[in-house]
Amino acid sequence: MQQSFVILLNKLGLHARPASHLVKIAAKYKDTTVEIAHRGEVVNAKSILGVMMLAAGQGTELELRVEGPQEEECIKDIVQLINDKFYED
Amino acid sequence: MNTSLTEEHKEKGTTLGHLKVQELLDEGAEPLKLIVLAGQSGLSRKIIEKEIHRPGLALAGFLQLFSFQRVQVLGNTEVHYLRGLTPSDRANATKSVMAHEIPCLILPNSNKPGKELVEEAERAKIPILGSEHSTTDLINLLSTYLDSRFAPFISVHSSLVDVYGSGLLITGRSGIGKSEVALDLVERGHRLVADDVVRIEKKAEGLLIGSSPEMIRHLIEIRGVGLIDVRRMFGVRGIRMQKRVEVEVRLQEWDDNVEWERIGLDQENTSYLGVEIPLVRLPIFPGKNISMIAEVIALNVHLKVYGFSAAEELEKRMHEKINRQNLRRYLIRDYE
Repeated sequence: MQQSFVILLNKLGLHARPASHLVKIAAKYKDTTVEIAHRGEVVNAKSILGVMMLAAGQGTELELRVEGPQEEECIKDIVQLINDKFYED
Repeated sequence: MNTSLTEEHKEKGTTLGHLKVQELLDEGAEPLKLIVLAGQSGLSRKIIEKEIHRPGLALAGFLQLFSFQRVQVLGNTEVHYLRGLTPSDRANATKSVMAHEIPCLILPNSNKPGKELVEEAERAKIPILGSEHSTTDLINLLSTYLDSRFAPFISVHSSLVDVYGSGLLITGRSGIGKSEVALDLVERGHRLVADDVVRIEKKAEGLLIGSSPEMIRHLIEIRGVGLIDVRRMFGVRGIRMQKRVEVEVRLQEWDDNVEWERIGLDQENTSYLGVEIPLVRLPIFPGKNISMIAEVIALNVHLKVYGFSAAEELEKRMHEKINRQNLRRYLIRDYE
């Protein structure tokens, strides 16, 4: 399992558009389990409702957990997306 | 921290660490009829156990084994006992009890705390709450409330639909079509409880209750369309706030190497938070009507409740026929 802690840098946090970017990337890795943990809540990163439910704002630290084939690539992709501020700002 | 990837988390779930007295007051004010009588400054105290304690023996001076960390309920017995004491004994009894880190005291029956108790509550910052309920009623209500607040829970990536009164938990990998099945079931007149994230709580031994996190309640995501508000679109008949989780329907891609259940004599089970529920694995392929099969699964649950199983019935008929044939063979031989 790959695990990583990332801080949301973009201004508006994980609102609808960034969430959908994230979900699309996670969903590319079909047989891989991708989860985000925040404040004791764990959601499937391939679920847009799940990701938006976290209501994570700027500066929030998220825990990523990825397990399955291509897990290293997958977590790298997601961390990069978050660090690139979801191509926003 | 949660480790939902592990089987262990599915079995144990997460449990609330504590509940502030203020939260008890906010949420329980109406049903429990709670009001603050003294010790307002101690409302941030934490309740860490769901058990309730009556401190009669502690007030009488037996302080060994005093479960002070629990919510203390002072019924008529305790109140009258204190009233019957001399002022100095009363002050000592109150002081020795209130010297412990008690989360809060509750006085049902609209009883009022004595002067000594109020003074100690203010000094020790321990809230005293009052209630109109009788002691028994209050203890029952409070115990039910604390049980549910401290119940273990997990979030499961799935959909929960009430189909003909049976709670069907639809699971399967992301993108397999759980939400589409849920939407189709709503279209057919069934009721959606939650989609995508189902919060399952173990409310009592053997009882799993599923609901939706408030944020995304009654929303469904359909690939290619986006988010759908089921309540707006289908009205209240298409939704439900919570439902017992009775069967898991796991959607899986057709796999030639998997042996699918063909008869239904053997029941596969799965377990959430230590509660076993039946598991039906459903192979999917294009053109197959999963919603209709989901309805049949729900009805089958009802039939099993009434003691009927199609597989067992068929087996019974077969045995009867085999027995008849054996008898006929015997008679023929005998005739010769």
